[in-house]
Amino acid sequence: MNKLLFGLLLLSFSVLYTQQAVAQKESHKDYASMNISECHSCHKTEGVALNHDADWTRGHRVSAGKGAANCAECHIQSFCLDCHSGGGIEADLKTQNYQRDYVPKSHRSDWREIHPIKALDNPQTCTRCHTEQKFCTECHSKFRGGDLQFLSHRRQFRDISLSSIGPNHAIFEQNGVINTTVCQTCHPGGILPAHQWSGAHATEARRNLQSCQSCHSDGDVCLTCHSARSGLRVSPHPRNWGSVKGNFRDKSDGRSCIRCHDGY
Amino acid sequence: MGIKGLLPLFLCISLLSASTSWAAEIRGRSSTQFLWFNNDFYSGRQVELAEYLRLSITDIDKAGKFSIHGYGRGTQDLNNGEGLNGRLYYLYGDYRGIYDKVDLKLGRQFVNLSAGSAIIDGGQVDLRNIGPVGFTVFGGRDVVFGLDGELGHGGDYALGMSAYLVRVRKTDLDVSWFRKWDAGDVSRDILGASFKQYLLDSVKLYSNVRYDVTSEVFNEVLAGVKYFPSAKLVFTGEWYQSYPTFDTTSIYSVFAVNRYQEGVFRVDYSINEKVAVNAGYSRQEYGEDGTANVYEVGCRLRPLESVTVGLAYDRRQGYDGKLNGGMFDATWNLTKDLQLAGGLTVDAYRRDFFPSTSGEQIAQKYWVGSRYQLAKNMNASVRVEENVNNTYNSDFQGRFIFNYDF
Repeated sequence: MNKLLFGLLLLSFSVLYTQQAVAQKESHKDYASMNISECHSCHKTEGVALNHDADWTRGHRVSAGKGAANCAECHIQSFCLDCHSGGGIEADLKTQNYQRDYVPKSHRSDWREIHPIKALDNPQTCTRCHTEQKFCTECHSKFRGGDLQFLSHRRQFRDISLSSIGPNHAIFEQNGVINTTVCQTCHPGGILPAHQWSGAHATEARRNLQSCQSCHSDGDVCLTCHSARSGLRVSPHPRNWGSVKGNFRDKSDGRSCIRCHDGY
Repeated sequence: MGIKGLLPLFLCISLLSASTSWAAEIRGRSSTQFLWFNNDFYSGRQVELAEYLRLSITDIDKAGKFSIHGYGRGTQDLNNGEGLNGRLYYLYGDYRGIYDKVDLKLGRQFVNLSAGSAIIDGGQVDLRNIGPVGFTVFGGRDVVFGLDGELGHGGDYALGMSAYLVRVRKTDLDVSWFRKWDAGDVSRDILGASFKQYLLDSVKLYSNVRYDVTSEVFNEVLAGVKYFPSAKLVFTGEWYQSYPTFDTTSIYSVFAVNRYQEGVFRVDYSINEKVAVNAGYSRQEYGEDGTANVYEVGCRLRPLESVTVGLAYDRRQGYDGKLNGGMFDATWNLTKDLQLAGGLTVDAYRRDFFPSTSGEQIAQKYWVGSRYQLAKNMNASVRVEENVNNTYNSDFQGRFIFNYDF
C-alpha cells in the first residue's frame, strides 16, 4: 500500500514538474515601469503571490537571496544599497535620514533610544545591513559606560558583600582593575553562591549576546570570570563545545582560544 | 576619503573598456544635497554638503553586451571639522552573454546569496543556459562601511557560490555557500538554501535555511506559507528561529547562547483601489521564559486620485520592555509638477533595563516636505523635521536636494 502511494505521489510530481518545465520563467524587464497594482491581476491569473505587498520590506530577503533572483530586471543595485548602506540618491520625501545617512522607515522616531527594543524583533535583522560589530562599537564607545547599563549591571561585582557583615568585593579592585588571582580562595572551582547578579547577567547574555558585544567589544570584562587562566574560571562554552571547538581553532587559527587558554 | 582600492578599480574598468570602440550611451543622476542636523557625538549642529553620482554606461560594444555601472557619494562637513567623507557603493563592468552562457561582473558590487551577502571588490560569474541548473560564483575583498568611511583591513575577503534550478516555472530551489575572512582567518562559513513552491494557484510555500559550519548549528531557519484566495487578499504564516553566531575571530563566538524563535501571522487586504489594510501578530521567544508579543495594524488610503495617506501602529510588550508606536504620512500631488507631503511618528516606550529612565518615554517626530519638478530631468525638494524626545526638547533638521538626470 505504501509503495503504491509512493508511486502515485512520484507520478503526480513528475506530471506536475514536466508541465512546469515546459513553461519558462517570465522575464519582467518589460514590466519594470508598471505600477505594482497593475501586476496583481497577472500574478493572480498565473497563480503567483503578490510579492510586493505591504509585507514586502520584512519578507523580501528570501526572494532577493535566492539563486537567479530577478530583482535586477527592474532594479539597479543602488535600489538595494540606498536602504542597506545609507545612500539617498532616490530619497523621496518620506525617507528619513540619520545625520548624513538615509535610513529605512523601520528606524522611526528616536531610533537611538528605541533601537534596543526594536532590535529584539528578530535580532538578525540588524546584521543584514550592519554586518560588522564595529558598527555598534563605533557609536557606543562614544558614550560613558554608565549611560548604557543593563538590569544585571545595576548590582555590580564591587557591590556584592563578602558576607552578611563583611565588606563588599570592592576591596579586590584597585584603580578599576580586579585582582583575579585570589578569586579561587573563596570560590574553589568557580562555585558561586546563588544570587541575582550571577544568574541574571548569564540569562541576559544568552538571550542577547550581541548587545554585550556592542559595548564590551573585546570581551575583556567577560574574561574576568570566564578565562581559563585566572579568576573564577567559569566555562562560558555551549553544550556541544567538545565537538565543535576544533572548528573554531582551525578556522580562526586559535585567535579566540588564545585569549583564555595557554595551550589549544 | 575612506575609499580603499579605488584606483585599481578604475584601472580595471578602464582596461575592460580600452579594447572597445566608444559609441557609448551614458545615463545617470547627479544629486546635490545640503543637510543640517544635530551631531549626537559633538552635541552641536552640523552642516554638510553631499554630492551623489550614479551612472550607467551602456552600448559600449556593438553587441551591447558590455556596460559599466557606478554609484558613490562624497560629503563635506562645513562646520565641525569632520572634513570629507566618501562611499563608493559600486563601480563594476558588466559583460553579459559570453557564448550565451556566462555573465561576468568585475569591480566593486553588491552580492547576495541565500547563505549571505556582501559588498566586494572582486568578480561575480553567472553560468546559465547549460541545463536545468545555473551557477553563481563570486569572490573578492570584503568592503564594510562605518560611520565615517570604511572599516575593513587587509585580509578581509568574501567568497560565495550557488547552484539553483532555472527551468521550473513555479519552483525555486537553490543551495549556496558563503565564506568570509577576517585578517586572513576564516570568520564565517555558512551553508544556505532557499525554496519556493506555488501550489493550486493560491498557495506559496517558502523557506530559507542557513547552517553555520563552524558552530554546527542552523543559525537561521525560516518556513512560511502564503495563501492568496484572491488577488486582493493574502494570509501569511511564518515560523523562524535563529542562533546568534559571531565571527570565529570574536571571543563572543565561544559563548553559549539561547535560541530565538518567532511565529508570525499576518493578513493583507486591498479592499478596493482606495483602501488597503493589514494586521499582524508575532510571538517572540528568547529562551529561559523571555517572551514578547507584537501586534501591528496599518492601512493605506487613497481618498482622492492625488492624495495618499498611510497609517501604521504596532504594540510590543514583553522581554526588555514595551513599545507603542506608529506613523502617519500623507502625500498630495497638488499639480503635475508639485508634490506636498507631511507626517509624524510617535513612540511611547519603556526599557526594563535602563535604570536612569524609569517610567515611560515618548519620542515624536514631525516632518513636512515639498518636491517640485523643474524640468523633465530636474527636480528639487526640501524636507524639514522636528524631533521632541528624551535627548532633545527640540531637534530641528532638514535637507535640500537638487537632482539632475542625464
